[in-house]
Amino acid sequence: MVKPIRNVVVLGANGAMGSGSGAVFAAAGIPTVFLARTREKAEAGRARAESMVKSTAISRFITTGTYEDDLERAVAAADLVFEAVAEDLETKKTFFSRVDRARKPDAIVATVSSGLSIAAMCAGQSESFRRHFLGIHFFNPPTVIVGCELIPHAGTDPAVTAYVRELLAGPLGREVVETSDTPAFAGNRVGFKVLNEVAQLAEEHGVAFMDQLVGPHSGRAMPPLVTVDFVGWDVHKAIVDNLYAHTKDEAHAAFQLPAYMQRGIDAGRLGNKTKGGFFKKDAAKNVLVLDPARDDYRPLAEVTTALPAFVDQMKAAIHVGRYERAMDAFCTAQGKEADLLRRVVLGYISYGLGRVGEVVKHARDVDRIMGFGFNWAPPSVLVDAIGARRTIGLLEQAKLAVPRVLVEAAEKNTNLFHEPEVDRGRFFFAA
Amino acid sequence: MVYILGGFQTDFARNWTKEGKHISAMIREAVAGCLAATGVAPQQIDVGHVGNFAAELYAMQGHLGAFLVDVDPAFSGLPTGRHEAACASGSIALLAASAEIEAGRYDCALVVGVEQMKTVSPAVGGDYLGTAAWYELEAKGVEFPFPKLFGKLGDEYDRRYGLKDEHLAHIAAVNYGNAKKNPKAQTRTWYMSEAHACETSKYNAVIGGRLKISDCSQVTDGAVAVILASEKFATAYAKQRGTKVEDLAKIQGWGHRTAPLRFDDKVAESAKDPYILPHTRRAVLDAYKRAGIADCWALDGIETHDCFTTSEYMAIDHFGLTAPGQSWKAIEEKVIDFDGKLPINPSGGLIGAGHPVGATGVRQLLDATLQVTGKAGNYQVPNARRFATLNIGGSGTTSCVFIVGR
Repeated sequence: MVKPIRNVVVLGANGAMGSGSGAVFAAAGIPTVFLARTREKAEAGRARAESMVKSTAISRFITTGTYEDDLERAVAAADLVFEAVAEDLETKKTFFSRVDRARKPDAIVATVSSGLSIAAMCAGQSESFRRHFLGIHFFNPPTVIVGCELIPHAGTDPAVTAYVRELLAGPLGREVVETSDTPAFAGNRVGFKVLNEVAQLAEEHGVAFMDQLVGPHSGRAMPPLVTVDFVGWDVHKAIVDNLYAHTKDEAHAAFQLPAYMQRGIDAGRLGNKTKGGFFKKDAAKNVLVLDPARDDYRPLAEVTTALPAFVDQMKAAIHVGRYERAMDAFCTAQGKEADLLRRVVLGYISYGLGRVGEVVKHARDVDRIMGFGFNWAPPSVLVDAIGARRTIGLLEQAKLAVPRVLVEAAEKNTNLFHEPEVDRGRFFFAA
Repeated sequence: MVYILGGFQTDFARNWTKEGKHISAMIREAVAGCLAATGVAPQQIDVGHVGNFAAELYAMQGHLGAFLVDVDPAFSGLPTGRHEAACASGSIALLAASAEIEAGRYDCALVVGVEQMKTVSPAVGGDYLGTAAWYELEAKGVEFPFPKLFGKLGDEYDRRYGLKDEHLAHIAAVNYGNAKKNPKAQTRTWYMSEAHACETSKYNAVIGGRLKISDCSQVTDGAVAVILASEKFATAYAKQRGTKVEDLAKIQGWGHRTAPLRFDDKVAESAKDPYILPHTRRAVLDAYKRAGIADCWALDGIETHDCFTTSEYMAIDHFGLTAPGQSWKAIEEKVIDFDGKLPINPSGGLIGAGHPVGATGVRQLLDATLQVTGKAGNYQVPNARRFATLNIGGSGTTSCVFIVGR
């Protein structure tokens, strides 16, 4: 038996993920201690949490403190310690050692890491710590994005995993996907394969062109390179470097960080947080676009080229709710632009559904994390709009792996996406 | 007798403008979802009705009935029409469709309620909503006229009987809480608590008179479709599915009354009446009478029109849960809570689930249908067999009530 979570300690409560996750706990009425290096930082985390849920009423469930003065005392009283410090293995391990010494024997410890090995993070701690340790990967901002990954490692007590799953899906209102303790888990593995592939292709085809070609009409709320600017180039690099180093599958080459992005990071170009990434605005608020070859920006108006007609056909069909018609235009379009878009989108379907069995148990797990974590059309939604048999034909034509779940759906002649409570139309964008 | 075969609601959290979509996409998804949910073939539909308040303003589009024809080739030639009575537009469409079925003109009617509201800023949208009041006299040049009008409803309760804002806060908290159980509710991931609803802060500012943001329903994009059928059609439909017609939901009773458009005229008219909105009370009593039930205690739940907490406060005594002016008693005794004696808005209502104006009446009827057929999922009221809906247009102007049961 695992006892109920009556109080939570958040480490790193000043950061985006720490304060956002703390807001989720406090909003559920669970007393939550926000810890940071200084009290001022912890208080800033609390203010951020209030602004994220748009209420000062949650503060009655929040207290603040510092690592130096309050960590041991707060952790000793906690049922759940939630770590959201910097994404660095050694930093995290230092905190875990302190937590291990102070925690109650049955206290659960979770990390919000977006891709480090869960087993490696708790290696060296007590057996009790390791049995009560797992990953809870919220997506930013956690108060808005409800998709979350739950990642036990091989030594996690199954009762702890089951309990945390109920907590997340129940009082915390999360859409929970359980994944294996594999690099970057499910969402970031599948998502950053696409994002990095588009970044690679941008070197040859241009930033603005690639971002528009693989834009919202291909099943995502936000264009891919705008997304990378939002996430931050440093975070992007950490995720793809980890995947490049620790996975060896058909997508290996797609995880290699483009050289121009490394140069940008070295020059301090990290996306929106440094007011410059793939896109930035000049003093007159004109949008400028990065030219990867020159490491310099040019006005968007100068580099924008007309998109091929099939993109307009897709958008026009989506605009009036005819999603199958849009995907038919996607499938039948001729020309190198159409081939390029199909390479990325079919690659996403192939790689996403191909992780079933390795990273997740079911296709719906990949679908849910891409839908509720990334706000992308889940692979199964795209397959259903194209048709399973037709998708297989296109994958074979593109020399992409055909996932087993897709073959089964084609044999049974059934839809892959079975979520009666989810509008599949919400994943098609004409904006 | 008119049967309800089922229906479909779009996810009210969606922003169809951000998705880049036209109002016809909303109609298309709702109808396709409804046909899939009920298993009714498009060839079986005899007539289509659309309830909508102001697509001409929000989406620069009228003539919405014609979009039904566009959904499926089998709908070619389908007789259609569009109905408007402000926030009661959906219920007016349902009344028209059910009257046609009762008259024997048609056996199977498709009814869609739809509103796309996120096309404009809140201030512009608030001005459009002002046309549901007497625009020149009550809304022209007024910022957010409707919160002010329903704030006045609260003031009138206060004047006649006394009213505490903490009771209104409980109504808000219950609706938001229920919405968390509803996978299609707009606010299902939002934060709300009674403490938050009680406090006035930068995050919960006063928006009109005594009403704060937490007292208001939402600006919502949404479409809902249901299928109504004659006894003949429903009997064959049930037989085909190996079930009994008695297990289908039906409209057991209805009420429909219209009060003067101007709020002050309503209040003047009811000065000597124990009920502040006597025409709403009459719509409720008409529906009870037609359904052959004595009072609200024959109901297992209510989906009411909580465009503001004050309108739900009004609904509590007008449905007869308490004597006039004593709605606070039902609130304090938690009668209206999800597990209370007579739960109100298990869906989350307009405050929690959302209020796409012209779709709301149809959404209420669909939720009542899901409840009495045991299909409401996480927000199912246990063993519900009879539900009422109350859909109000304007400041208590058009009142429509349905009693739905098995």
